[in-house]
Amino acid sequence: MPQLKQVLEEEVLPKVRKPLRYLGNEYNAVRKDWQAVKLRSLFAFPDVYEVGMSHLGLQILYGVVNAEPDYLMERVFAPWPDLEQELRTRAIPLFSLESLRPLADFDCLGFTLQYEMSYTNILNILALGGLPLRAQERGNEAPLVMAGGPCAYNPEPLAEFIDFFVLGEGEEVILEVFAVMAAHRAIRQGKQDKKEVLKELARIRGVYVPSFYEALYDEQGKFQGVKVKEPGAAPRIVKRVVRDLDQAYFPARPIVPYLEVVHDRMMLEVLRGCTRGCRFCQAGFLYRPVRERSKDLLLQQAEKISEHTGHQEISLTSLSTSDYTCVEPLLQEVLNRFEGKNIGVSLPSLRVDSFSVNLAKEVQRVRKTGLTFAPEAGTQRLRDVINKNVTEENLMEVAEAVFQEGWTQIKLYFMLGLPTETLADLDGIAALAAKVLLRGREILREKGSKQRPTVTVSVSSFVPKPHTPFQWEPQDSIALLQEKQKYLRNRIREKGIVYHYHEAEVSFLEAVFAKGDRRLGQALEEAWRLGCRFDGWSEHFRYELWREAFRKTGIVPEEIANQPLTYQDALPWDHLDTGVKKEYLRREREKAYELATTGDCRFAPCSVCGICQDLDVDTRLRKGE
Amino acid sequence: MRLCLQYSKEEEARFLSHLDLMRAMERALRRAQLPLVFSEGFNPHLCVSYASALAVGVTSEGEYLDLPLKGDWPAEEAVQRINAVLPAGLKMVAAVPVTQRRESLMAIINLARYRVEIPLRQAIEQKEAEEMIAQVLARPAYSVLRRGKKGERQVDIRPGLWQLQGWAENNKLILHIAVQTGSQGNVKPEEVIEMVKDTVSFSRGENFWGENIRIHRLGLYIRENDKIYSPLERA
Repeated sequence: MPQLKQVLEEEVLPKVRKPLRYLGNEYNAVRKDWQAVKLRSLFAFPDVYEVGMSHLGLQILYGVVNAEPDYLMERVFAPWPDLEQELRTRAIPLFSLESLRPLADFDCLGFTLQYEMSYTNILNILALGGLPLRAQERGNEAPLVMAGGPCAYNPEPLAEFIDFFVLGEGEEVILEVFAVMAAHRAIRQGKQDKKEVLKELARIRGVYVPSFYEALYDEQGKFQGVKVKEPGAAPRIVKRVVRDLDQAYFPARPIVPYLEVVHDRMMLEVLRGCTRGCRFCQAGFLYRPVRERSKDLLLQQAEKISEHTGHQEISLTSLSTSDYTCVEPLLQEVLNRFEGKNIGVSLPSLRVDSFSVNLAKEVQRVRKTGLTFAPEAGTQRLRDVINKNVTEENLMEVAEAVFQEGWTQIKLYFMLGLPTETLADLDGIAALAAKVLLRGREILREKGSKQRPTVTVSVSSFVPKPHTPFQWEPQDSIALLQEKQKYLRNRIREKGIVYHYHEAEVSFLEAVFAKGDRRLGQALEEAWRLGCRFDGWSEHFRYELWREAFRKTGIVPEEIANQPLTYQDALPWDHLDTGVKKEYLRREREKAYELATTGDCRFAPCSVCGICQDLDVDTRLRKGE
Repeated sequence: MRLCLQYSKEEEARFLSHLDLMRAMERALRRAQLPLVFSEGFNPHLCVSYASALAVGVTSEGEYLDLPLKGDWPAEEAVQRINAVLPAGLKMVAAVPVTQRRESLMAIINLARYRVEIPLRQAIEQKEAEEMIAQVLARPAYSVLRRGKKGERQVDIRPGLWQLQGWAENNKLILHIAVQTGSQGNVKPEEVIEMVKDTVSFSRGENFWGENIRIHRLGLYIRENDKIYSPLERA
C-alpha cells in the first residue's frame, strides 16, 4: 500500500501528537512477506499503544506466531482520538502497524480482553477498520474475529461481535487454531466458508463459538442459561493450560518500543498462577495452578532478552513474585550477572511481609521513594472474609522495615464495598493508615531524619467477578460507594496521609460488564455510537453517555451490578469452565461468612478446588531443583 | 578512549524526538556489546554526549555523538557493531577516535546546514526563486518571537543567518541554509522559513505556500575564522 503509506507519513502522522504509536518499525518488529505465508493474523489491543506494548501476552503471541514460517502476525492498537479524527475526515481505514494494511485484508483478528472498560475500543477498532460490528454481518470474505484473555471467561456482552473466544493460555492453543484456519483455506483456494470453519474450530478444546449457543430467558426476561444450538457443540468449554512453564514459549526478542511505554523494561515471567485464594480476586482463580519456571532457565532467558533488547531493567513478573520458591537465589544471581552492565531489577508486586521488604531492599540499590502493599481491608474480620491472610502485625512489621530501611513513603491499597463490610471496617482503614504513619514518624525521628513519612491510601471499589467465590455478591450502589468514599475521607485527618479513590461509576460499569449477559451488547453498541471510547481513561470517560445508552436500549444496569444472585440462578458464564468447581466457589463463599480462612495449597493441604483433578495439571514448585 | 561518531536519522526515524532518539541509541549501544562507560554515583547513567538535538519530523545525515569506551577499539568495528543492532532509520556513517579535542561536541559546534523543501501552489522560474532569496537577504534584520523559561522575547536572527540559497524545483522552493548554532547564538531552520515566507508573502500572498514542508539537516560544523571543519576533522 504505497499510497496509504505516503498519505499517512506525509499528511496524517505529522498532525497527531504521538506518531511513534503508529509506525510499526520498532526494533524486533517482524515484517513478513505477505505472499509467502498461508495465514495472516492481526493482534488487536483495545487500548493505546503504550498500554498494549507493556503487555507480556502480546509479546508472547506475536513471537509464537511469527516464529512459524506459514503464519504472520501484525499489530493494531486503539487509535487515540486525534488519529481517529484524521482517519475519519480522510476516510482512511484503520491499518496494521507492520504493513499498513486495512484490517479487512487479514484472515483473522485477535483481541485481548484484559479489562471490561476497553470494550468500546473493540467496536471502534472494527468500525474504523471498515468491518461490520456484528459477527453475523461479517461474511466469508471478512476476517474471523477472535478474542481471549481474562474477560473471555464471561464474554457474553461481546457475544454478538466476536466470532469465537479462546479460554485459557493463548500460547497453548493459538497454533492449533491457526492450523485449522490455514488447512480450511488451503483446500478452498484461500477462501473460507465461515460457518464451516467455525464448526472446525469449535472442536478445539478451549474454543467457544457463541453463535452455536442460545441464551434463554423467562417471561420476565430473567436469564435462564445458555443452550447448545449447533449440533455437536460442547455443552461446556474448558480452558487451556500450559502444564510446564519451562516448556512454554518465551519471547527472547520482544519488540523494543521507541516511545516510553507503561512498563518500559524486560519482563521475566517467574511463575504463573496464585493460590493464596483471595476471594475477590479473579486472577487467582483463572490462572490456577501455580507453575514456576526454573531458576536456571530464567537466567538464560534474562541473558537472551537483555542481549536482544538493550533494556536497562529486568522485571521479575508474576501475580506474586515474593511467592516464587527460588526468589532469593534468583534475585542474587540476576543482580550479580547484570550489575556490571548497569541493568537494574524490579519487583512488580510485594506481599505484605518483611521478607518482601528485604527483597525490595536488595533490588533497589538506588533508593526510590516508596513501596506499595495491599492489605485490601481495614479489619482482621474483613480480611478473614476475603481470605487475605495478612494480619495487622504483618503490616506493622512491613511498615517498620520500610521506614527503617530508609524509604519515606508507603502506599496501601484497600477496597471499599466488600461483602459484609460495615463502618467499623472503614474506620479500620483510617486507623491502620494512622498507625503506620505514626510508626513512620517515630522511626524517622529515632534515625535523626528530617524527612516526614507519607502514607498513601488508595481505595478502589469491590467489583464482583465471575468465577470467584464472590460472583453471587451484589456491588454496593454508586451512591453508597460514594458515601463510603466521603466517610473515609472525613476519617482520614492526618497531614501525612494522602487519600485517593477510584470513580465509583467506572467500578459500577466494570461490574455490569463483568457479570452481564448477551443483551448487554446492545447497550455497548449504543454507547459506542454515542461516542464512548477509552472508558478506562478518566479524561475520556463519559458516564452520562452510558446512562443514555442504557436508557435507549431498555437495560437496567443496576439489576446486573447491584442485585445479589442465588445459588439457583443460572449464571451467564456457567458453560465456561476454568477448572475450579462451582461447588468449591460456593463453599469458599460460605466460609467467608463464617470468617473461616482457606490455606494456600502450596503450603497447606489441598482444598480440592478441582483444577488439578479435572485438568490433569499440578502445582509445580522449583524449590530444591 | 573516546569515539566521535557521525550518524544519520532517516525517513523511518523522523518522528523520533531527541529524547526518543537518546533512548533508542542507548538501547542499541547496549545491544552492540561494547565496553560502555557509566557515570559514578547512586544512579549511574550511560556516558554519551550528543552534539545537538534534532526536532521531531526533521531528518539528518550529519549528526554526531561522543562515546567513551573502556579500552581501545577500532572505530570501524564499533561502527559495524552498532549498525548491526540499530533500529530502522538510524545509521552510523563514520567514526574517528577523539585525540585532540577536549571540549564537548556541543561546545564547539557553531554551524548547521539544512536543506528545506517548501511546496508551492504554483510553479516558479529559477530567476524568481533567486529574486526571492535576494529580497530575504536584503533585510538588515528580522526578529522572531521565542518562548523561553523567562517568557517571550524578540530575537533578531539575521546576524545568525550565514548563507541562504534557493532553487525552483517541481512546484517546490528548495532552500539551502547555513545558520549559527550552539551556545553563542542559535537560529532554527523553522525561523528562517518564517522569514522567507514572511518576506515573499508580501508580494505573492499567503496562498502561494503549500503544506508539508520538509527539513533535512545536512550537517553540523565547526567554523573557525573563515574555515569550516566537520566534527570528525576536529577530533
